[in-house]
Amino acid sequence: MTGVKVVLPGDIIDTQQPDGDEQAVIRLGPGLVQASDEVTAVTAGILRSNSETSQWWVVGNKRRYVAAEGEPVVGVVAARHGEGYRVDIGSAHDALLPLLAFEGATKRNKPNLAVGTAVYARVVVANSVMDPEIECFNSHTGKSEGYGELAEGFMFKCSLGLARRLIDTKAPVLAALGKGLPFEVAVGVNGRVWVNAGTVQSTILVANAIRNSEYLDAKQCRQMVKELLEKQ
Amino acid sequence: MGRPDKREPGQIRALHCALGQLNRADGSAQFSAGNTSALCGVYGPVDVKVYDEKLDRALVEVKFRPDIGVSATKDRWVESAVRSTFEREVLAHLHPRTLVQINIQLREGDGSVDATVINATTLALVDAGIPLKSMIAAASCVVLADDTTAVDPTQEEVDAARSTHTFAFSSSSSTRPQSGPVYVDSRGDFTMDEYNRCHDLCAMAAERVLAFMRTVVEGKVTKEALISTA
Repeated sequence: MTGVKVVLPGDIIDTQQPDGDEQAVIRLGPGLVQASDEVTAVTAGILRSNSETSQWWVVGNKRRYVAAEGEPVVGVVAARHGEGYRVDIGSAHDALLPLLAFEGATKRNKPNLAVGTAVYARVVVANSVMDPEIECFNSHTGKSEGYGELAEGFMFKCSLGLARRLIDTKAPVLAALGKGLPFEVAVGVNGRVWVNAGTVQSTILVANAIRNSEYLDAKQCRQMVKELLEKQ
Repeated sequence: MGRPDKREPGQIRALHCALGQLNRADGSAQFSAGNTSALCGVYGPVDVKVYDEKLDRALVEVKFRPDIGVSATKDRWVESAVRSTFEREVLAHLHPRTLVQINIQLREGDGSVDATVINATTLALVDAGIPLKSMIAAASCVVLADDTTAVDPTQEEVDAARSTHTFAFSSSSSTRPQSGPVYVDSRGDFTMDEYNRCHDLCAMAAERVLAFMRTVVEGKVTKEALISTA
């Protein structure tokens, strides 16, 4: 990867690889559209590309979630219908969570979630013309794989960029916190994070540390977490 | 006769911008040119009332509030100017059945209000990550009683002017010069020659505004990128 290239809406992208052939097929990801013969950026961010798969995309930060298939999200149950729950996942439209989309759920044995309950789920249907659909289990194996109701704990919002960085297994703030105290965390790429550290005090500490880490690098994260833990 | 604040005829006032100051909006920008300052907050794409829903695209809604008093008819005019400019620029078909709400609060109006409002809106939309065809930059220009032109006028100059012109240009028009401005608003008595002079002055001023916008957004994006790669 050579340097960091910032693109703005309307910028024409030169997708020509130095040694690539002219007719090569390229794939456009988020933030790029094709207009006549040219590829233009439609959002501001860093231009990224993978020369092996000839994929191009733009990495930017946002605060409003737009559902995409396969992504883990933290939602809040907004209403219960005959066949499922209506769940607020922060996107323009509420998502549908079928009653049978839970581990071990049958027609007789269905989960009973109250309005206001937090759930960790995966997006299965997401396109611009339909309301999104989510599920709390893997429909191939029938196992929950960590998805499901998030009992107790505390949920807060952050930017979508921070949420994506937290999902990364190498997120420095989570690693630093894990060395200091035990806690559970569920990160949704819709910019919602749920934490539970047993006591109210520790839960608040974890939530504050994650929120503070937005503009801190790995070293500053460790320092910030250390200071928070010492104060406790 | 010089200008009251001793600027050159083609010189714009000092620009200032802050992105993301409103922490509950999806994107926001405060844009100032001299004393004129506007704060714009963007929400979107969000849920829309069934009555307003467009089946094939997002609805773009604009609310403008003046610095003093309640909004009146002339403020509706600013709303419609911003809406007609950005309706064509937002890629609304990517988010059908949703709403993109643009709320603008004028903090201080000292001339060139409509241009400042358009500039603030562009930056707020970029901050919110709403897909846009291109960036829009606007500038105002007046023709004074002695036939001289002055770009980015203060309120004093607007009041003394024979005619006032506002032009908005899209960033893609620099690569396609044959495409003209995306928004024009001209008031008062003027000749075609005066209009063309104002157009050229505003085009140059908009070019500068665009360069300023680019530095602002690049600053924000690189700040975030450095963290994620660290």
